[in-house]
Amino acid sequence: MTDLLQLLINGLLAGTLLAVPAIGFTTIYAVLRFPNFAVASLATIGAYGGYVANVRFGLPLPASLLAAFVTAGVAGVASDEIALRRLRLSGPLTLAIASVALTIVLENCVRFGFGNDLRGYDLPVLRDWRVAGLRIGPQQVENAGAALVAMAALFLFLAFTRTGKMMRAVADNPMLASLKGIDAVTVARIAVFTGMGLAGYGGMLIGLDTSVDPLTGFRVMLSVFAAAVVGGLGSIPGAVAGAFVVGVGEELSLLVLDPAYRTAVGFVAILAVLSFRPRGLLGERAF
Amino acid sequence: MTIIPTRRQAMLAALAMPFLGRVAQGAAAEPILIGTLTPQTGAGGSFGPGMVKVAKAVVDDINAAGGVLGRKIELVSADDETNPDAGVRAARKLIDVNKVDAIAGTWASAVTMAVAPLCWDNKVMLFTVSGADSITKLPHQGYIIRTQPNTYLQSGRIAKYIVGDKATKVFGLSAQTPFAVDSYNRLAEVLKAGNVEPLGDIVYDAAKTSFRSEIDQALKTKPDALFLNSYTPDITVLLRELFRAGYEGKRYTFGYAATPKLLENVPADVVEGLVSFAPSPDLGSPAYARVKRILGAEPDPYAAQIHDHISLIALSIAKAGASGGVAIHDFVRAVGDAGGTKVTSAIDGLKLLADGKAVNFEGASGPCKFTPLGDIEDCKFRFDVAEKGKYRLLSIS
Amino acid sequence: MASYLLAMAVFAGFYALMALGLNVIWGLAGMINLGLVGFFAIGAYTAALLSVKLHVPMLVGWGAAAIAGSVAGALLAVVTARLKGDYLAIVTLGFSEIVRLTASNEIWLTGGTDGISAIPGPFRGALSPLGFNLVFAGLIWGVVAVTALALGRLSASPFGRVLRAIREDEMVAAVAGKPVLAFKVRAFALGAGVLGFAGALYAHYNGYVAPDAFQPLITIYVVLALTAGGTGTMRGAMLGAVLVIALTEGTRFLDDVLPGLAPVQIAALREALIGTALIVILTWRPQGLVAERTRVLQLEAL
Repeated sequence: MTDLLQLLINGLLAGTLLAVPAIGFTTIYAVLRFPNFAVASLATIGAYGGYVANVRFGLPLPASLLAAFVTAGVAGVASDEIALRRLRLSGPLTLAIASVALTIVLENCVRFGFGNDLRGYDLPVLRDWRVAGLRIGPQQVENAGAALVAMAALFLFLAFTRTGKMMRAVADNPMLASLKGIDAVTVARIAVFTGMGLAGYGGMLIGLDTSVDPLTGFRVMLSVFAAAVVGGLGSIPGAVAGAFVVGVGEELSLLVLDPAYRTAVGFVAILAVLSFRPRGLLGERAF
Repeated sequence: MTIIPTRRQAMLAALAMPFLGRVAQGAAAEPILIGTLTPQTGAGGSFGPGMVKVAKAVVDDINAAGGVLGRKIELVSADDETNPDAGVRAARKLIDVNKVDAIAGTWASAVTMAVAPLCWDNKVMLFTVSGADSITKLPHQGYIIRTQPNTYLQSGRIAKYIVGDKATKVFGLSAQTPFAVDSYNRLAEVLKAGNVEPLGDIVYDAAKTSFRSEIDQALKTKPDALFLNSYTPDITVLLRELFRAGYEGKRYTFGYAATPKLLENVPADVVEGLVSFAPSPDLGSPAYARVKRILGAEPDPYAAQIHDHISLIALSIAKAGASGGVAIHDFVRAVGDAGGTKVTSAIDGLKLLADGKAVNFEGASGPCKFTPLGDIEDCKFRFDVAEKGKYRLLSIS
Repeated sequence: MASYLLAMAVFAGFYALMALGLNVIWGLAGMINLGLVGFFAIGAYTAALLSVKLHVPMLVGWGAAAIAGSVAGALLAVVTARLKGDYLAIVTLGFSEIVRLTASNEIWLTGGTDGISAIPGPFRGALSPLGFNLVFAGLIWGVVAVTALALGRLSASPFGRVLRAIREDEMVAAVAGKPVLAFKVRAFALGAGVLGFAGALYAHYNGYVAPDAFQPLITIYVVLALTAGGTGTMRGAMLGAVLVIALTEGTRFLDDVLPGLAPVQIAALREALIGTALIVILTWRPQGLVAERTRVLQLEAL
């Protein structure tokens, strides 16, 4: 029983980390209607942005996370304007494929500048708490907290600001939104900035637990896409739910399967969910 | 610095030519081409750049001292992308376009296995740092030389050390690699013989970002020592999580996983007491010191090994008196001649060879004597312990 | 140099054959398949195991590889029958990762990450390396040509027309009385069979297969090849494959012209250039280098 609880806790903590880039991915999907695979490299760029802020400039964790968000957001918008914007009319598939090429380019820009050496943040590693035979990491809780802060901020932004409402309008019905005079280009830019910023923020959270190198984002991307798909592409609460399904599913699989098969289990879970709900857990309603 | 008279070497080369399969086409001024095939991108990317840096520096030193047989060495570097599919195409370019005599530095076992048949088909020597035992068992006709001790040798030695270190119950955590299972089996065998209990082994997927549950599973068996058969990215995660989990026992791993760079990037208390293990030359080896100087940092084992690859290639060509893969193939074992003068750099060795003397090369990774299969016969290992974020040498044995 | 160019022509042939297989599934039937390297791997392993462990004649192994690819494709098509678009993309991507994980972990069958070596090649022992490349280049491009012709005929046949109808609007096709699922399964099986066959040839050419050779990057390159060449057309698939190999291999010569950069920077620059070139092509020719001529367009031309 304790074992099961422990696996659940591990899975939930892993899930909160996956949730942030998954939300970023799904936000862009909601507005622009194509899977932007460049989130992988922008998560890496965010992790490096946070690294520079934290190690080179000695900023504390919250400020470094903000730096990660802004770096990835700005890089995301810039690369989107340069590489993808002209392809918007060519259809979602061409865009998705171009975003794969873009992610290769961006990953290598990072490699060109920083090399392949592993880097770590300048933060202490703390011992876990032990509560009733369970092991909980203060830092994992802190990271999960940071993830929740990001999600809450996004929710407030979408629910209460004018820009946020515009984004939702475009996501729900682009045609109607343009009739009402909402500027689709600006909304798209804001969506990309927010989405890629979240990817970068999530990339740094992942880097905190692992290490920072040009493949930091790439390594987790399959799980991130899986989370967004399970939840229903374009649905933000869906991405969160999907992240928990994938995170917990991968941990629970250890009960019955070899750890080497963890990734596979994640995908079987997706297949199971999608067989019953082909549009994901929460469908495609954006928010 | 004395410049070796190039004309004499050219004459020597000319004299030796009729006895050798492949003739160096007479033109003494043509450079000797050597390829490096290292991972610059992909999972092995943290090692490739340092390896090429060392290879370049060794080549520059040799050229500055007059080259080999009066000819300069030219290094051609290719990226294998840590991927056998891309590695084969990169090797094709090195072999078919650049016409290299030898390829040095292949790192991932799958890349080495994929590239090896191209090398022996085209009579190009392959020097590798890959660990999988199956590599030297390929029908390579002597065209593979491996400076990395094989799994059997490594795991046996590390197990002996663990026995001597008074561990009683050992658990293994291994990344999914070609040698994960063999490694653990050999370890368990030697541990049992030393009355240490092997508790079991978990093979994990190295691409994951968290191994909390795997660690819980391992610690449940109450080990007092862990054998971490990992690579750098995953061991970073493992060490942090072991620390968080409050694990206080011993941890042993390979020097290529817990590199000196890793110690710089992880808080010191996380790695405190970690014992790492790498093939090594004698204490105070000038070759090792040279690699350290080139890198400006403590070398990882692969950087040390490629120093030896390039040196061996240069020395074999000098000993043969001709370039070409066949010459290197035939003479690579003759430059580790036990009766010869011990040398630790290619330049010293080239001078002696030019004077017609025998040499016994001992490089930055240790003595370079190879079995007929191409494995190193035996080597010493160094054991370092991490203390306050730096390695301290425990012993070389 | 000749040997090198021939070897690259062989690799371009593999990519072309894969692009053709993908073209049936994606180009004609409109099902996104990001798991194509999985079928390629299944074919490669089938052929390798049959010839190394059971000493089955090579041609039989190739046939078996195509069948194994087909069966896997049909199964996946049935399992994912209800999924569309991006959902199908991620599930097929997962499928190829599962194939790779299985190959890594079922050591008793596949040799694990060690892979399978010493796979014989057609006439390899009897020929010089140059001769072997020549024979193989001829073989693979012969296969590509035959496949392209056959698939071209198929695409113009009633079967191909139904597939395109499904691609454009599944509902309409269903209303018109076409058994949509059966057609999709057949398209998937056919394309996956071509992919499996390509894998078999690859195994016998390289003489070695290992899980690491079947990374998603191959899928990405083949998808890029097909998109850049022109989805839905056989000529586009072949042209795109040649283009992708020319890009990935041509950029290897950067070293020789760019002194002064660290090797890791040259490697980074090289991969960035490949990506940039593909984005430029997509922007310049969104329909690919060879655009599909549909009936509507032809009517307009009249």
